[in-house]
Amino acid sequence: MQNHNSNNLVQITNLYKAFSNKIALDNINLTIPKKGGIIALLGHNGAGKTTLINCLLGLCRSDSGQIEIFNSKPSSQHVKTRIGAMLQDTDLPDLLTTREHLTLFASYYPNSRSVKELISSYELSDFADKLYKNLSGGQKRRVQMAIALIGKGELLFLDEPTNGLDSSARRLLWTKVKQLADKGKTILLSTHYLEEADALAERVIVLHQGKIIADAPTPEIRKKLTGSIIRCISRLNHSELSSLATVRSVQQSGRFVNLHCLNPVKAMHSLLALDPGISELSISKPGLEEVLENLSKQQTVL
Amino acid sequence: MSSNTFMNETGAEILKSIRAPEFILPTLLFPVVFYTMFAIVLPSTPKTATYLLASFGVFAAMGPAIFGFGVSVANERERGWLSLKRITPISSYTYIASKLLATIIVTAFSLLLIYLIAGLAADVSLSTRTWYFLLFFHLACVIPFSFIGLSIGFYFSSNSAIAIANIVFLGLAMLGGLWMPISIFPSALQTFAEFLPTFHLAEIALITIELKDTERLFQHSCIIFIMSIIFALIALVTWSKQRY
Repeated sequence: MQNHNSNNLVQITNLYKAFSNKIALDNINLTIPKKGGIIALLGHNGAGKTTLINCLLGLCRSDSGQIEIFNSKPSSQHVKTRIGAMLQDTDLPDLLTTREHLTLFASYYPNSRSVKELISSYELSDFADKLYKNLSGGQKRRVQMAIALIGKGELLFLDEPTNGLDSSARRLLWTKVKQLADKGKTILLSTHYLEEADALAERVIVLHQGKIIADAPTPEIRKKLTGSIIRCISRLNHSELSSLATVRSVQQSGRFVNLHCLNPVKAMHSLLALDPGISELSISKPGLEEVLENLSKQQTVL
Repeated sequence: MSSNTFMNETGAEILKSIRAPEFILPTLLFPVVFYTMFAIVLPSTPKTATYLLASFGVFAAMGPAIFGFGVSVANERERGWLSLKRITPISSYTYIASKLLATIIVTAFSLLLIYLIAGLAADVSLSTRTWYFLLFFHLACVIPFSFIGLSIGFYFSSNSAIAIANIVFLGLAMLGGLWMPISIFPSALQTFAEFLPTFHLAEIALITIELKDTERLFQHSCIIFIMSIIFALIALVTWSKQRY
């Protein structure tokens, strides 16, 4: 066997994966320790999040590189009894009820949670005997979440679990995810919402165009978010804008420019001094866009 | 796999089938309605009614297998349900074996309706032993058709799977001589029928009820066996292709 550290749940070395011409995963190296808490996999759609999760689950074969999960290969029987997952864009058959779905999946595991207990602790009882096709989007997601937990896996993969949910359903799911982490589960959760990663995770892995461009504790990622974004229409050119006080980056988006600056008051002063005629001004906090811009510019993994 | 898993999975498959009227009504009722029309409503003798019983039983086994596997596997695969199962400890073969058993149970109901009509309304009279042989054979027909259905389900998207399943279903039934004997077809079509599993299955069914002699039994059986293996291989290839 390799010189792996048996305290790790996941060990990925030099992982590559391409689809026809597009590189989906580009030299991924990643370690997830035991009791790793909540780890967010943050990135745009198409950044490679789902491919990475599918490779870990054994649903996708990598081109090269190594994946060890529970010191075994993905999709080995030994792994399958220790994980649970909520996949992206997955739907269960319409014509079974919540209870029937859970009972079926419970029977797949040697040591499963009781369906009754899951229904009550995940507040599924209102729709336990309704057919899946008659459930709302949020209810369907809760059934899928319950299925991810039914095998008592210690490592859970949640691929964009809150995508398309309204804010109350999202908050309910967040609470449940936090409770699971408190019970000692390790959760890898992919998202394209910076806010979600920030609210939930202790560690954030930023994936951009198939590469990990940052992997750090959440507070360090949050540091990248200091400063503000000034958005306006200005007649100044790129180099004039870049030279304004405290401005770190300039991005053109259509007629608008986005200025990422450390001190918006200072930046505004120098901007107005050069161009008093700016219009459509707004100032906001940085988002995923700026974090990615910032990180991919540095090209240094923290 | 534990027997508990297998029973649960089969139960779930049957529940899904009987809750889908657009699946269960045509697959259960088509064969019996057609049989009633050809063997009773249109002028016929007990001999033609017996002849048609053999081939309509094959027809009855074809619907649930081709639609049940073709359309529902395509749909469940597209929804990601099969991926979700693949990350659990059960083997994918449990899913297929359960679907096969569920299909055989649904087919048994369909056959029961035809047998009742044949025995009670069309004056078909067979020995008890022959009824059992015929039932066993008709149920076994589910297997090759399921492989065809599986190939469709693994290869096509759920929308095209419906169209393809219909074409295969009607084409195999008509050109294989399940509705009318191929002896009334032009000779080119008669030759073509030799390449279809439905023709050979119907011939074996006719031999079972002693309407044809056993001269070609071995030949028909060999052809069906080889065809089944080919369909199973196609299903395996299409299956492994969609897995990654």
